Amino acid sequence: MERGYWIRSKPLYDSLVWRQFATGHVVVAQGDGGLAVLKLFQQMCPREPIKLLFADDKSASKKYADIIQTLVPEGLQICESEQAALAALKEQLPDCLMGTQFYVAGSEEFIWAVLEVLKEYGVQDNNVAKELCGTLARSVYCVHCKTISKDVHFSIHECDGCRRHLFVRDHFSRRLGAYMGVMVDAEEPGNIPAKEEIYP
Amino acid sequence: MNTQFKQETFRDDYTYTNSAEAIRRFPFPFAEDEYMYSVNIEMHGEGTGAAGSVFEHGIDVDEHYIAECEDRRIVLDEDPDRYTALPHMMDAQWDMVELMMDSLSKDYPEHFQLQKDGDNWHWVNKPLGIDQTFVFGDEATLPMQPFEYISRQVQGDWIILDQRDDDLFADMGMVTSQADWSMAFDAGMSFKEWHGPVPQANEIGIFDRALKYLLHLQYGSPVRRLNWTMTINPRLDTSPENYPFWGPDNASVTPENVGDKVYLRVELQALFRLPRSNAIAFSVRGYLISLNELITYPRWGKRLHRVLKQLHPDLSEYKGLDNYRQTVIDFLAPLDDGADLGLGTHPE
Repeated sequence: MERGYWIRSKPLYDSLVWRQFATGHVVVAQGDGGLAVLKLFQQMCPREPIKLLFADDKSASKKYADIIQTLVPEGLQICESEQAALAALKEQLPDCLMGTQFYVAGSEEFIWAVLEVLKEYGVQDNNVAKELCGTLARSVYCVHCKTISKDVHFSIHECDGCRRHLFVRDHFSRRLGAYMGVMVDAEEPGNIPAKEEIYP
Repeated sequence: MNTQFKQETFRDDYTYTNSAEAIRRFPFPFAEDEYMYSVNIEMHGEGTGAAGSVFEHGIDVDEHYIAECEDRRIVLDEDPDRYTALPHMMDAQWDMVELMMDSLSKDYPEHFQLQKDGDNWHWVNKPLGIDQTFVFGDEATLPMQPFEYISRQVQGDWIILDQRDDDLFADMGMVTSQADWSMAFDAGMSFKEWHGPVPQANEIGIFDRALKYLLHLQYGSPVRRLNWTMTINPRLDTSPENYPFWGPDNASVTPENVGDKVYLRVELQALFRLPRSNAIAFSVRGYLISLNELITYPRWGKRLHRVLKQLHPDLSEYKGLDNYRQTVIDFLAPLDDGADLGLGTHPE
């Protein structure tokens, strides 16, 4: 995390704002993404039909399902888990019209899992509003054994697959939904720097 | 051209060496004593380089051809993902078959021959002992995907960039000899994402200008630039995938072995617009030269000494030179009398 070492492949996440010129709106959120949903519904709602898929997450700082239920009058589907929300999205997509706008809020892993589902229907990454909420945890792709470790909070991570100690590079692949992890002690085996929690 | 193809290795016992002729034609990249990124693009292809130089033809074939193709085969056996092609790239695959076969058969007719009878093509690659008839445009008539088939028969890495939304996407590639970047990871990335980890270049606006230029690249007017780094041992596969295997070499340089162990690696990067797909073929052809080979031309030894001494620390780190750069500088220092070298990359 050196000064001036700005990484272009790192996605930028924004605050959710309703988009104009839509035929419909689909909002998918998880965990602390609930707060982003509440902020979104405090804005003037568009006239077009809105679908909202939401799943609470046990590691989130708060449960939002009940609050959302009282504030979102229609089109709401509360899901049991992140997986259930993704499955519900898959079910909804064939009924969506051309011109539907998509909104995602939650952990980075969740955001890119949703994008993976949308990609099958030709929805491009830059047409999806994304808000990162709750955690900066990263998914890390081990460039050596190709395993993706999820929920990584520290600068150095022991790979879930090959157990090598990986340095988490600031280089992100949208296709894999993960940052690159490279063996940290390849040049001097055993020389592993102390790990720091920089993705809380 | 009567090239003698060498039997040599880029791994394990590292028997790779350059002949006197290969040293003389080495694409030394430093025209000045100071180095910083620049777009430094010039025209490429027929008529843009001196006879015998690496710039004479669109695709250079030299004495290392057979050994490099063999090294590629070994890499692909171990890790098939070094070849990646997203499904929408089939037109570009055939573009590449045409570009490579046309170019090789025209420029090196004693080694490569191509006969076309409409879409029925007959390809002969003598150095690799290949004789193949196939139907251009019909995948089923080749033993593997068209781009994999032909890119196993050329030197250097090839990345095919799809052009859409005013951007370029790395949607196909044959990448087995890369300087520490991963095709499997970068597949599908846009131009700026893909260059994300390169320090300093964004700050000076390199990528904006380079992208703008490339989006307007014309068919039939290829361009090129040189890039460089250093490598320990003549290893082509310095991939992040295999970093655990070559990484320890970076800590193995001593004042005694530096001349033999440290290589200047120059990449001849060329870009060709493709006619059917409108994609861009980006070739990255690496040339390796040991310090001992390089200093047979004192002008190059002095120049490299000065470039390394004043190299920006971010670039030194990014290129992975930090472990041994000072050892190289100390090795070259006694050879540098401080004489004014003037402009230019020529050896003498």
